[in-house]
Amino acid sequence: MVTNQIAIGVLIDEVTLDVDELARACRVEPDWVVRHVQAGVLGEQAAPRFRSSDLARARRLLELERHFDADEELAALVIDLADEVRRLRARLRALGLKDA
Amino acid sequence: MEYKDYYATLGIDRGATADDIKKAYRKMVRKYHPDVSKHEHADAKTKDINEAYAVLGDAGKRAAYDALGRGHHAGEQFQPPPDWSEHFDVGGAGADDFFADLFARAGRARHGRGFQMRGDDLHATITIDLVDAYLGATRTVTLRVPRSEGAGRATMQDRTLSVNIPRGVTPGQQLRLAGQGHAGHGGAGPGDLYLEIGFVPDPRYRIEGAQVYENVPVTPWEAALGAAVAVPTPAGTVEVTIPAGSQSGRKLRLKGKGIPAAAPGDLYLILDVVLPPANSDKARAVYQAMARDLAFNPRAV
Repeated sequence: MVTNQIAIGVLIDEVTLDVDELARACRVEPDWVVRHVQAGVLGEQAAPRFRSSDLARARRLLELERHFDADEELAALVIDLADEVRRLRARLRALGLKDA
Repeated sequence: MEYKDYYATLGIDRGATADDIKKAYRKMVRKYHPDVSKHEHADAKTKDINEAYAVLGDAGKRAAYDALGRGHHAGEQFQPPPDWSEHFDVGGAGADDFFADLFARAGRARHGRGFQMRGDDLHATITIDLVDAYLGATRTVTLRVPRSEGAGRATMQDRTLSVNIPRGVTPGQQLRLAGQGHAGHGGAGPGDLYLEIGFVPDPRYRIEGAQVYENVPVTPWEAALGAAVAVPTPAGTVEVTIPAGSQSGRKLRLKGKGIPAAAPGDLYLILDVVLPPANSDKARAVYQAMARDLAFNPRAV
């Protein structure tokens, strides 16, 4: 059976996530979140509230650390480089250059 | 349900060590990662690889999978043996896949009475058009979730959900739908659903956060002499003044006409001067007159 209902969501950014909410969304212990904030690879140390981009970043960090035994700094570097590649590809497309 | 051969997916044999599995997985991820792969079905392939590794990379899940026995072929219709799940405690299903399906079938009754746990949060993506971000929209997502059939049995089912996309969303933003995640256990509440917003690629536009960039073709005389032109934009048709003496690449900023987020973005119109074809005597005569009368050399230093 298929249920059909209209769901109203909350935009993360209009509200932010706290450490526990981010941990639950990533299925990790809150310690994991705290450790990554302290290491400077996730969110801002001054205010541990998290936005949409932090949630996506946390999930990517986790995947790299788990599957590649990556150290948190290395995982962060890989993500930053991948983001830069995506940004540059978007610019190439905008300039009408083929994504080679 | 269809049998899936996870060993074949990772290109390894059943005797592979945990180390072999990890190495094979890493190699495949590198080969098919959507950010680097030129492979046509890189996304689907990556999903299969991740699913296979989620099972074979975990000693408990691998043992349970191996116990399903040999001799099954990928895609064949398949039922696990009735008592199969009782020998393994693998912590329940982790992904929307064949293996999750098996454990969903195995049921959660063995956790016993008094066991309470909030359901896991669920993650999915939803892809919208740029205009949806300007106006808001209702879009449909289909999720594969375990559904209880009583007596500790469950199957994976498609659940279709209509979702309100609020006006002003930008790429990568997450929409949290309370209580739309996995069901809880022992009377505890369900998890939440996080939907990541993606945009359908549109060659006319480039989006950076709430800023939108749009290429606008203009004629040489509009660019040279200046003109008022009507430009179709995601915010509707806008009357724009092209300043005299414009060249290709000139950016015109329309403040607040980007995505109407909490901090509204701007819309940048990027002028692209397009030459009319010299495909008639008259057109050629005009170009010849320009060549003669303008004495213009763009390569002059």
